[in-house]
Amino acid sequence: MRDVRRWGLFNTSAFRMSTAYTLLVALAVCVTLGSTYLLTQSIVQGDVDLIIDTELRSLENQYVRSGIPGVTDEINLRIDSWGRIGAVYMLAGPRFERLAGNVTNWPFDGDPAEPYPEFRIESIEPGQRSVHPVRAAVRKLPNGDWLLVGSDMSQDRRYVRTFQIATLWGIGLSILVAGIAGFSFSFRLARRVGDVTDTCVRIMSGEQGHRLPVAGSSDEFDALATSVNRVLDRLEEQTRTLRATFDSVAHDLRAPLHRLRSRMDAVLRLPALESGIREPVESALREVDHLQRTLATLLQIALAESGAPLASPAPVDVGELAEELAELFEPVARERDLTLTARVERGVIVEGNRQLLAQLITNLLENALKYVPAGGRIDVGVKRLADRAQLVIGDNGPGMPAEERLRAGEPFARLGQRSGLEGSGLGLSLVSAIARLHRARLALESNDPGLRAVISLPLAYAETSPASLSRSMSA
Amino acid sequence: MHILLIEDDTEAARVLVNGLRESGYAVDHAGDGREGLSRALAGRFDLIVTDRMLPHIDGLAIIQQLRRARLATPVLVLSALGTVDDRIRGLKAGGDDYLTKPFAFAELLARIEALLRRRPGAAAESTVLRVADLEFDLLARKVTRGGREIELTSREQKLLEFLMRREGQVITRTMLLEGVWDLHFDPQSNLVDVHISRLRQAIDRGAERLLIHTVRGSGYVLREEDEE
Repeated sequence: MRDVRRWGLFNTSAFRMSTAYTLLVALAVCVTLGSTYLLTQSIVQGDVDLIIDTELRSLENQYVRSGIPGVTDEINLRIDSWGRIGAVYMLAGPRFERLAGNVTNWPFDGDPAEPYPEFRIESIEPGQRSVHPVRAAVRKLPNGDWLLVGSDMSQDRRYVRTFQIATLWGIGLSILVAGIAGFSFSFRLARRVGDVTDTCVRIMSGEQGHRLPVAGSSDEFDALATSVNRVLDRLEEQTRTLRATFDSVAHDLRAPLHRLRSRMDAVLRLPALESGIREPVESALREVDHLQRTLATLLQIALAESGAPLASPAPVDVGELAEELAELFEPVARERDLTLTARVERGVIVEGNRQLLAQLITNLLENALKYVPAGGRIDVGVKRLADRAQLVIGDNGPGMPAEERLRAGEPFARLGQRSGLEGSGLGLSLVSAIARLHRARLALESNDPGLRAVISLPLAYAETSPASLSRSMSA
Repeated sequence: MHILLIEDDTEAARVLVNGLRESGYAVDHAGDGREGLSRALAGRFDLIVTDRMLPHIDGLAIIQQLRRARLATPVLVLSALGTVDDRIRGLKAGGDDYLTKPFAFAELLARIEALLRRRPGAAAESTVLRVADLEFDLLARKVTRGGREIELTSREQKLLEFLMRREGQVITRTMLLEGVWDLHFDPQSNLVDVHISRLRQAIDRGAERLLIHTVRGSGYVLREEDEE
């Protein structure tokens, strides 16, 4: 539901398909009903024309048999007694003056051009005047007189008109029904697809136990949901296996390291330790500590890269965190004759792990502290941008070659080994892994001169921010 | 002081037990979770140090059983699992402190000392902390040395308060990072040393007797006597 609204129903392919379908149905109905209408109209008109022609022929025959008086009698007879309802007759002289019939004036201007001309007559019936449409045919008799036979079309017109209205209603209703059906079809389709997307988003954001609903109707959606669920089961199992592997690797490497370290510690605590021994043991101990730190970092990177979601995400104010850390590192920077300034916006909340984000900022700060020569400057900034939090840590140090900067986002990219300062490559890898874990974008840019790391994190409450709200309203 | 060590790695346990005994503690050792739990429930120990991954009963399960039995003995968890999440889980289960293997023995000693000294409810909220002629009025946020006021930033005050509350205790760099700045990872830079040296300049400069001392290989201690 939520997703249907967020994207807008009009954007779904289901909606487009059902719109096309509705238009097709409408077109088919229009063609069918329209041609029926036209056919009916022409049949009705054809009937009338046939009657008119037949009567004209019989009156012409009458003329042949008994001349004008015969025709006149016949017309009068038909008008008076047994003629068909709505019949119109007129016999006119060569200059169209009336000789006989139930029409007072010749309705045309001379001889009408069309075979079946139409005109209107006013009928005088008791109490009311009414206008009737008439369809007629005209013949010139051999003696120069004019004979007109017509038919009152009111009835037929009414019939055709009713049929026309029925046709229009039919077209309208079928478009409406097809439209409603199409709309509800596309709405339901979009909702079910939306459910799938929704669930996927929730799983991506860490609710790994979530599964797609299976309606039990064993339609194609259920088939899709079932296979997606199977994929998710597998993924969850793999994540669990991976996690277990990490744990056992961590354990199996740390335990011997721990024994090694304990023994060396014990040696250092010996009361009568020769001074020539203390120094090498202490330096070996430092190596062990370094090894342990590297191992911890590698495991952390591997874990973050494995796509296992954050175990316990909580709201973190990046602005506040960056400010605190900048303050904390300020004396360290001052000791190295560097200027560290922070320009941060407070209340920029993201969803994540405070310790990992602190480690990310710390790694970037320490990287700058390591590379920027005395007299240089380091700037920390946090800004809120639309639906993202932007963290920037820039310096005016020697910077980084462009090809290395581009590779910084890759997992386990070993960077910055050029100056023989160890550890920084892994440090940046951890930064990029933590960023990825928080669904953030990491970009290393040139600060002209120097290096600038830009991390853009999704805001925690972005979904209810005014910007996206108005977007979903307009959809 | 009587400590119970629950650790299945016999070699590591042997070194630890020796080290702790040398440092003046009485130590019992249990080699697996089941034995550890039964001894923890039976004996009266001042502190329990337990490994996290143990045969039979997991270290966190031991803590939960102890707490269910209403035993408030402080527990220090040792673990080869070192991610932030593991730590949080360890502390949530009722552990009092969490140390990732491998660790420096001095780190373990300092933390054991800190846990043993932690008297629940004691020293409760006196509003002025005093060490020799150094005074910290917590309400007025005012620090004086021999009556002379010392200007400190709030960050420096926080560090000083942490040290004064643990007068005479060795505080490691990691304990400061965790306790004062809430950072549960090791920065590469000498962050702690820089902050301590600034605090030391402010507190001890020109004073006859130094209060902040460096303990070689361990960390720092704030105490009156200036002999090491």
